[in-house]
Amino acid sequence: MKPCCVVFLALFMICVPVFAHHGNTAYDTSKVVVLKDGKVTQYVWANPHVIITFDVKDDKGNVQHWSAEAGTPQTVVLAGWSKTSVQKGDVITVYIFQAKTGNPVGRLNKIVLADGTELRDSALGYREGGGEGKQ
Amino acid sequence: MRIDAALTALLALAAVASAQDTSSKQAPAQRPQTLYQKLMAAGNTGGPAPRRDFTGSWAGPLTPSYVDVPPLTPAGEKLFNLNFPDPFSPSSNDPWGVCDPFGFPRSATTETRGISFAQMPGRMVIMTQYGRIWRTVWMDGRELPRNVGAKGGPDTTWYGYSAGHWDGDYTLVVNTTGLDDKTWIDRRGYPHSVDLRVEERYTRLDHDTLDLALTIDDPKIYTKPFVLAKNRFKWIPNQEDEEQLCVPSEAIEYRKLIVVPADQDQAKGKK
Repeated sequence: MKPCCVVFLALFMICVPVFAHHGNTAYDTSKVVVLKDGKVTQYVWANPHVIITFDVKDDKGNVQHWSAEAGTPQTVVLAGWSKTSVQKGDVITVYIFQAKTGNPVGRLNKIVLADGTELRDSALGYREGGGEGKQ
Repeated sequence: MRIDAALTALLALAAVASAQDTSSKQAPAQRPQTLYQKLMAAGNTGGPAPRRDFTGSWAGPLTPSYVDVPPLTPAGEKLFNLNFPDPFSPSSNDPWGVCDPFGFPRSATTETRGISFAQMPGRMVIMTQYGRIWRTVWMDGRELPRNVGAKGGPDTTWYGYSAGHWDGDYTLVVNTTGLDDKTWIDRRGYPHSVDLRVEERYTRLDHDTLDLALTIDDPKIYTKPFVLAKNRFKWIPNQEDEEQLCVPSEAIEYRKLIVVPADQDQAKGKK
């Protein structure tokens, strides 16, 4: 077995439990992208998954429109979320596993509200990612 | 040698991660358990099961244990190949993606987090939390209709026609027919014909534990009858259930904001 396969297998073993509900194969779960000063434009408390859309400025000052999903309302409730946790206009820090397509969409690791409250995703919120800073 | 080096590196990484966890200010966050997981872990029996009584609300897992499907008939293979499961894929044609009713038996094989039973004179009502579905199971000895879906016969429906009886004091057997063939039997995309007959066997093991085995018999599609799914439900202590609905407008929004731009098909190399 080649070393790369060993590494792949090890990663696979780590990843398997989070695929129990819905596949996250669309996302690069090897690194967390950190998006600071995200301004919430929409908080959708819905099935199949909770969605937060938000705007962030890139290095050049251009506004990017992001969409992030978390688990179902029934499961994120267990992690402390509610229908009123996030409001349009809130400024949040977003830790996200971005889509492999490179589009501004991803699965949340967690968000941090202005008052420091952390809200973790039910599926991918319980792994610590080093993070890759991004404005 | 190189394998050893890779393993050593991995172990070192794991050790660093573990050290970081223990040295950080807060204890590492733990994934919260669902009510079902807690009830299963507690393993309470609640004492003996009451005789011929399932009344009440029960928690279940997201998905039951699926059992292997036997070979399909050529007609079954043809239909199965038309189905692209996974509503999280932009190319899927899973009826769930647009919140079509699950129909039966999919309502018993997908999103099975809650189920309730209500016994009424001459019938048992089985309610499914997801989608707030109810099914009437006739317990007064009436027979299942024949020739459902055939010309001149009764029409098929999403949830079919069900008749049940007690097998002993703790097992309820429900037979269902008359099921519309546009539904799938599970989230894997397995099809069925209008001739499908489903048998559910619910056995109350003790006050707090209810098991289900669901058997499929559809000779047009499957080469032999088989147990499609097994499930275990646990009595909900406070008897409260949750609201969980598939809402078409929300599904459309989800598709637009997440499914299409995330494009898991591309990530999987399907494109």
